[in-house]
Amino acid sequence: MRFNRSFNFTYLIFVLLGAVILIFLIAPLLGLFISLKAPEFFFTLSDKQVGESIYRTLFISALVTIIASFFALPLAYILARKNFPFKGLIEAIIDLPIVIPHSAAGIALLGFISRDSLLGSLASSVGLNLVGSPIAIGMAMAFVSIPFLINSARDGFTAVPVRLEQAAETLGASRYRVFTQISLPLAKRSVISGFVLMFARGMSEFGAVVIVAYHPMTTPVLIFDRFNSFGLDYARPVAAIFVAVTLVLFIFLRIYQKK
Amino acid sequence: MMLKIDSLEFSIGDFNLGPLSFQLEEGGYLAVFGPSGAGKSILMELIAGLRMPKGGKIIIDSVDYTFSSPKSRPVGLLFQDYALFPHLSVFDNIAFSLKILKNSKTQIDMRVNMLSEYFSIEKLLKRDIGSLSGGERQRVALARAIAHQPRVLLLDEPLSALDEELRKGAQETLKNLKNSGQTIIHVTHNREEVEGMATKSILLGQGFIKSVF
Repeated sequence: MRFNRSFNFTYLIFVLLGAVILIFLIAPLLGLFISLKAPEFFFTLSDKQVGESIYRTLFISALVTIIASFFALPLAYILARKNFPFKGLIEAIIDLPIVIPHSAAGIALLGFISRDSLLGSLASSVGLNLVGSPIAIGMAMAFVSIPFLINSARDGFTAVPVRLEQAAETLGASRYRVFTQISLPLAKRSVISGFVLMFARGMSEFGAVVIVAYHPMTTPVLIFDRFNSFGLDYARPVAAIFVAVTLVLFIFLRIYQKK
Repeated sequence: MMLKIDSLEFSIGDFNLGPLSFQLEEGGYLAVFGPSGAGKSILMELIAGLRMPKGGKIIIDSVDYTFSSPKSRPVGLLFQDYALFPHLSVFDNIAFSLKILKNSKTQIDMRVNMLSEYFSIEKLLKRDIGSLSGGERQRVALARAIAHQPRVLLLDEPLSALDEELRKGAQETLKNLKNSGQTIIHVTHNREEVEGMATKSILLGQGFIKSVF
């Protein structure tokens, strides 16, 4: 019997098993859109509270991603290039937000920013109440999503050959210039990937955000609020619109990343 | 004496280099031979400042550069794998050091054009590094290494990645460079590479100078 390279029984099984995962991921989202009722959907589209919450969610997540990058990228570079005592411990601390329940992260943050805390009392001395503010939302988003930026950027910097950085040094570049003109551009793909992941993870955060700031509402909190107060029919259109917005954004960012 | 290496010592793990002492006159061509693991590349990296020695001195033009940063040394280094920047064009690779030195655009254009003519790479200036052949890469890397007019040019196995035919052409390029008065240290495991060019040779073995000729 002639061996057919393009057909392989093992591959066929793998494809079928992989298809189950894809169906599992796509079906609920598809169901979300199919079960939408036109009147509720159009009413939600014109709902000012929904529009504001989406804008707030995207804006705060984008802003904290940009602010966090000033701290995260140097840390990622150090982790990629240097070996030092307790490096493993530092890497474990960075990964901590991924493994702890996000509601627990919210509780921890609440203790950190409440008026009784050092940071909270400092803020309230200048008339700022952190709990229930956009700052608290940003901190909660950053807390749970920053590992994605650090880890992705670190992997990108690790993949840049040290030889290229050394070559730049012998050509007169300072360490800072080596970072900005060689390491960062060469790790660009991973760094952008980290930005996208952090941004996406931040804007979808519910558990930590709802504890530090129920109001002003981010969209994930608004979806929960609508579901809790009015039921599935009122929560579904908000969820569908938010999913659609994030999908469009995500696709654009992915296309940009591949360029 | 233009370059003076005095009792230079370096250690990493079980490997010890030196103490090494030698000198090179202006316009000289020093060939450093030795088998793999003799410490040839480490010697280049010490002179370029990419590694710091345990002791000794590196003097260039009577200035002590032993513990200076790589950026402050009047040295150009051609890496064995050329280490060209893949995200920059050929032009920008060659112009890299000139931009750091804050040369004007006119000065940069003039210098890059002069070097590209010298190394016959005028048609490659807009190309990506990934599209170059081995011989082209070597010439671009050489042009980049001397763009900022270093006092000493260090060549770390510069011909090892080239096939026989390209190697002959590259040897001609190095000969021309030597004849232009460039001071060169050429590290190789192959003596034929530097025949007719070296004004002085050192045989390195397991971290020590075995002979000078």
